[in-house]
Amino acid sequence: MVGLAYDLLANPQGAVRSTFEKAVASSGLDFDPASLDGKDWGALDLFRQFLSDQTHLSQVPILNGETIKWVQPNTLVRFRGMIQDMLGNEFYVGAFKDGDVWRTNKFMDVSHFPMPMAATSSPHMRVWERRLLYCVPVPGRNSWTEPSSELVVNRCVDCSSQQREKRRRMDDEPVDHMDMLVSDEGFQGSPSTKKMKEDGHPSMSSQTTEPINEGICSHMSMVPSIDSDSLPCLVKIYDSPESDLKLNDVFEFIGVLTFDSEVSMDKDDQDELSNGFSEDVLVHLPPNKVPRLHCLIHRKLTVPDFLHSSPIMELKPHVVKEIRDALLRHLTAVLGDDSVAAHFMLLHLLSRVHTRVENIAVGKLSLNLTGFSKESVSLFGHRLSLAVKDLLPVTHCIPLSVEYLNSASLAPIKDYETNRLITGVLQLAEGSHLIIDETQLKAGTLNSVGVDNTRLLKNLMELQKVEYDFKYYKMEMAADVQLLIISEGKSNILPADIVIPFQPTSVDSSEVVAAEALEAWRWYLATVKSLPHSIESEMQKVVENDLVEARQSDRSIGSQDFNRWLTMGRLMSVSFGENCLSLEHWQMVKELERLRTERLK
Amino acid sequence: MASDSSPANFNGPTSPDDSYSSPIGNTFSSPGDARRRSRRRSTTPSAFATPPPNQSRFATSDANPALTPTPSSRRGGRRGGRRATSTTPVNAAGTPTSTDDAPASSEGGEGYDADDARPTFVWGTNISVEDVNEAIYRFLKHFRDSSTASQSEDGLLREGKYEIAIKRVIEIEGESLDVNARDVFDYDPDLYTKMVRYPLEVLAIFDIVLMNMVGRINPLFEKHIQTRIFNLKSSTSMRNLNPSDVERMVSLKGMIIRSSSIIPEIREAIFRCLVCGYYSDPVVINRGQITEPKICLKEECQARDSMTLVHNRCRFTDKQIVRLQETPDEIPEGGTPHTVSLLMHDKLVDTGKPGDRVEVTGIYRAMTVRVGPAQRTVKSLFKTYIDCLHIKKTDKSRMLAEDPTMDVDNPTGRNVEDISFDEEKVEQLKELSKLPDIYDRLTRSLAPNIWELDDVKKGLLCQLFGGNALKLASGASFRGDINILLVGDPGTSKSQLLQYIHKLSPRGIYTSGRGSSAVGLTAYVAKDPETGETVLESGALVLSDRGICCIDEFDKMSDNARSMLHEVMEQQTVSIAKAGIIASLNARTSVLACANPSGSRYNPRLSVIDNIHLPPTLLSRFDLIYLLLDKADEQTDRRLAKHIVALHFENPESLEQDVLDLSTLTTYVSYARKHIHPQLSDEAAEELTQGYVELRRRGNFPGSSKKVITATPRQIESLIRLSEALARIRFSEWVEKSDVMEAFRLLEVAMQQSATDHSTGTIDMDLITTGVSASERMRRENVLSAIRSIIMEKMQLGGPSMRLLELLEELKKQSPGPEVHLHDLRNAVSTLASEGFVSLHGDTVKRV
Repeated sequence: MVGLAYDLLANPQGAVRSTFEKAVASSGLDFDPASLDGKDWGALDLFRQFLSDQTHLSQVPILNGETIKWVQPNTLVRFRGMIQDMLGNEFYVGAFKDGDVWRTNKFMDVSHFPMPMAATSSPHMRVWERRLLYCVPVPGRNSWTEPSSELVVNRCVDCSSQQREKRRRMDDEPVDHMDMLVSDEGFQGSPSTKKMKEDGHPSMSSQTTEPINEGICSHMSMVPSIDSDSLPCLVKIYDSPESDLKLNDVFEFIGVLTFDSEVSMDKDDQDELSNGFSEDVLVHLPPNKVPRLHCLIHRKLTVPDFLHSSPIMELKPHVVKEIRDALLRHLTAVLGDDSVAAHFMLLHLLSRVHTRVENIAVGKLSLNLTGFSKESVSLFGHRLSLAVKDLLPVTHCIPLSVEYLNSASLAPIKDYETNRLITGVLQLAEGSHLIIDETQLKAGTLNSVGVDNTRLLKNLMELQKVEYDFKYYKMEMAADVQLLIISEGKSNILPADIVIPFQPTSVDSSEVVAAEALEAWRWYLATVKSLPHSIESEMQKVVENDLVEARQSDRSIGSQDFNRWLTMGRLMSVSFGENCLSLEHWQMVKELERLRTERLK
Repeated sequence: MASDSSPANFNGPTSPDDSYSSPIGNTFSSPGDARRRSRRRSTTPSAFATPPPNQSRFATSDANPALTPTPSSRRGGRRGGRRATSTTPVNAAGTPTSTDDAPASSEGGEGYDADDARPTFVWGTNISVEDVNEAIYRFLKHFRDSSTASQSEDGLLREGKYEIAIKRVIEIEGESLDVNARDVFDYDPDLYTKMVRYPLEVLAIFDIVLMNMVGRINPLFEKHIQTRIFNLKSSTSMRNLNPSDVERMVSLKGMIIRSSSIIPEIREAIFRCLVCGYYSDPVVINRGQITEPKICLKEECQARDSMTLVHNRCRFTDKQIVRLQETPDEIPEGGTPHTVSLLMHDKLVDTGKPGDRVEVTGIYRAMTVRVGPAQRTVKSLFKTYIDCLHIKKTDKSRMLAEDPTMDVDNPTGRNVEDISFDEEKVEQLKELSKLPDIYDRLTRSLAPNIWELDDVKKGLLCQLFGGNALKLASGASFRGDINILLVGDPGTSKSQLLQYIHKLSPRGIYTSGRGSSAVGLTAYVAKDPETGETVLESGALVLSDRGICCIDEFDKMSDNARSMLHEVMEQQTVSIAKAGIIASLNARTSVLACANPSGSRYNPRLSVIDNIHLPPTLLSRFDLIYLLLDKADEQTDRRLAKHIVALHFENPESLEQDVLDLSTLTTYVSYARKHIHPQLSDEAAEELTQGYVELRRRGNFPGSSKKVITATPRQIESLIRLSEALARIRFSEWVEKSDVMEAFRLLEVAMQQSATDHSTGTIDMDLITTGVSASERMRRENVLSAIRSIIMEKMQLGGPSMRLLELLEELKKQSPGPEVHLHDLRNAVSTLASEGFVSLHGDTVKRV
């Protein structure tokens, strides 16, 4: 690479253009733009190379409700979010001839050069396509996952122009940080529920109630969707296979920001025909509300990516064991010295769906802690949710009540008026943790929504699938959500894999957790969870014999129980950082199960 | 105008004729230039700012409809006769080149082969208008359905398919002629390719040729007939539409999710002068706009700005914008459905309603997005839509249900509705059916996650395929639906099987016994809350007409509800007589029920009938009654354990069995149900009679007074249905002997009859699942004969009785071979007892 002709951070489009011109020049006179269909003429390599350097990468500001106020359009930004909806493909003039010179429009919204009037096909123009993804910040993401971006702030503080000022006035919303809500609320109004109410319902209603052909959405009606916690982003993806990016995946997109508050779509100009076409989703996402990001590079995020100062540790058995013990102690303390419950809790936190065979999601391990009363819920329930929140990046909490079931929209629904998928509570990113507090549930009548919602929750529990409502049909989407149910008795609505009566012995636990310890635990959970796992043939024999024996002695034991034991066995050995099920760990699982069945009696 | 149909130069200027197709083909950079070069009507850049649909088919250029086969001529052609005269001044002025084509246009598109020596090419392509014209003419004139028909003139023994069609259209004064694209392909692949590639141009020529033919057949016919192409050779997935498909003919499948209200679009406007009352000539739409005349055209008047639109003399057409969405089966994992807009005109408006699944043939188009209303700058974006040519409703994704409205009296018992299976698919299915192990393969594919239970699955498979329904001239009818009852211990995955079948079957209804009332299952009369009229509401069984009604917890159903099933299961109707409504509804449904044994677990000491505890009248209506018994069998347990361990620790791919996926299975079943109607071969009939006699004999066992399931005429019907279903599985039109034998086997297995002691009606638990091996049978026979001889020897007729233990010792003394258990002995003695050789009371044996 010969020096940087352009500042990749401040003027990425310049770099795109210059590489394009270079590519055109190198092919000489007989340049055929068709040869560039679906290719990127080396521009991406330039960026990839540039960003592979960590210091460069950290200079790229992360786009969120805060940074949007000062980040310059047409600069390089990062956006971390979940793909909430896919808006289909968009055709654009990829390359065109301006006089005698070929220009490109790739990675930009509006052409920088006068473009000839054009029909879709002429030798002077190539039409290319890009995919539109509507991304939102990962729902339920905890505050500790926010990377600090002070460095970038300093760099760009002087960038604000008049235009910025203007926007700031427009968009200055009371910024409510998630952590503000965290501790000072009871378990019932726990942050995630509140958050859910905030960005689930209002934004939804604002979208549904708004008639399509009404004038440009009044500023106020869009307000909820732009508060700093839920800045959505319309990501435009170029030339990447469809299978790469899936719904509900969490990605980091690096690309060119175009957030133009000036260009507004005048509704008046739409003649009758375009009115007919106005399901065009973009109308509902005016560019001055939803920033556009022309994605250059995208990368799927996993849990370790959310740990900021990831302690690069090796998986040494003793280190792992140490952390494991400490974490177990912590969980035990949180659970009022109930170590059996803590053990199950640990396994539960490590569970993930690793394979799907037919209808069985192998690897899930939902946990139902029973025996909570009103009092213990307010204490332990709250404590537990805080502990989980501190350990996992993405957590949610649903207080289950009849009213909630009857009114909440759990499943995402397709709204054909706006042609958007309206998110529901259960549209969750892979690996989310969901606490369902069933102690609030009282006798009552479920309406049809309630029945539907119960079924959805049950399906999520049993199959790890959520049915998305497309009105004319339902579509099942695979999910991977860790479910923890807190209830008085065994939950019949939500049949968990493991039911264990919760028996706290001590109440006080004012343990202060050191930040380093938390970091280590997060790292441990994230790393260990993704370990591969296998079984030796000898061990397999042992396990099989145990299973057969168990079934011979008790006919009521079925494949469900087998599944549970094997999942536990797997998680148990994984929790020690091992890749292979050992007899010792298998015995531990059996012992745990014994303790549990004893309690159930 | 020129630009909107510029797919022509999609592939660059390939035309050899430079005078017409500019090598640069750039009509955009310098409009004036383009005007000169283009042989089409020129366009000013602002034309692009108007949405193309306006410029498309409907942007009429009456000046030269024939030679500029742009979409416009479709509409232009509509005004057929008027075309020559109504050269509007608006257009003519802007199209100096149109003089070139004047001869052709003035004659309404007729005979341009003659008037121009030079070949006329579609702008920017190597398509010669004359060639295409000829080809289309030949096609319409000479195409015959059988491909063997000769194309030459002397082959004209009967009229071509489309000649007949055209005549019919003229007779009924129709507006369109449906042209099967496959016919075009069969006749002239080259024409087909051109048509798909340059649909705008070719279709325009198509219309003109068609109108010429119409004109020849009936010169007085005024209406314009449009060509509607359908059934393209390949259909595109919505997901795969990409820029290269723009301006091509595509065919898509999808579901309508939204349709706009009908938009009246002005085609011709008539103005009236407010001063003198002069009516202007019709002004046609141009680039989506109507130009109001500035001055009155009447020479005497010439008042300025006096013209006003006369609404009720203008001509409007219907337009509708419909949104089409991908069907669920085309959506890849982790994706959301794509949508595309359809533009419908005239007759196509309102042909589909939201929720319909349709196959659409049309032209994929893109239009630019303007930044502002008056601005000329276009964004670099395109909006895409499909200009719809033809729309066809397709079937549902579930297993095809035969048309419910079908006439019951139709002797064939099958509907003739044209639910077409993709030819490729059919070939594939036929290939599949030829596999020697197709029966097993299908069995495996049915609920593959349910372990074992192969014979039950075979039964269910038969239920899915079903037998032939028969209606005799005398009015007696025989159902073809197979009813199945699953009785079994808890935890034997009965409900899962039910759910699976429910998912697979056409209009399956799933109910649970306890929650179903008699009326809920059949039909009930309700008062409409609004009108107060009494209306008949269908229940589950009626709703699942031609499907499978799955009833869980059958034993927990109230007797009342259950008794409703009697009629349904044999007569296949539901009769209602209440509230002044007397009706008989069709309920040609297969019933799949499952129940727990009477004591919730199967009691081996009781007879099968006592265990099931359902009235025999109802039981006899089930073709197959499966007993799913959970027997503590280590082998099965081990297999289960192995399976689950593998599930957790092994690569899931290695677990994949050789099974058909759900959609293939569904289509396979649907195809067979629809197209295969097997008949009994003589051999099979012979086998059936013999087997039935045998079955009867077994039931009439001497000395058995207990309730034993005996063979009834119902059973022979069941056997016929089962054999037919089995033949269907093989896509065979004949029921073979082997099918009958398998049907017998299924019947036997179902009731565990092989394991049933016919004299007591109980099941020998040891025999279940393991079956009896040949050697074991041999051993038993030996024991039997040994005992027989002992008894002959030791016991007198009517003499003192003997205890079993004594008998056992005696036996051991006589045959020192393998150990004989008391159990074996008891079996043997009871066999002898059933022969009437001895009598067995408790532990004592007495010769009689």
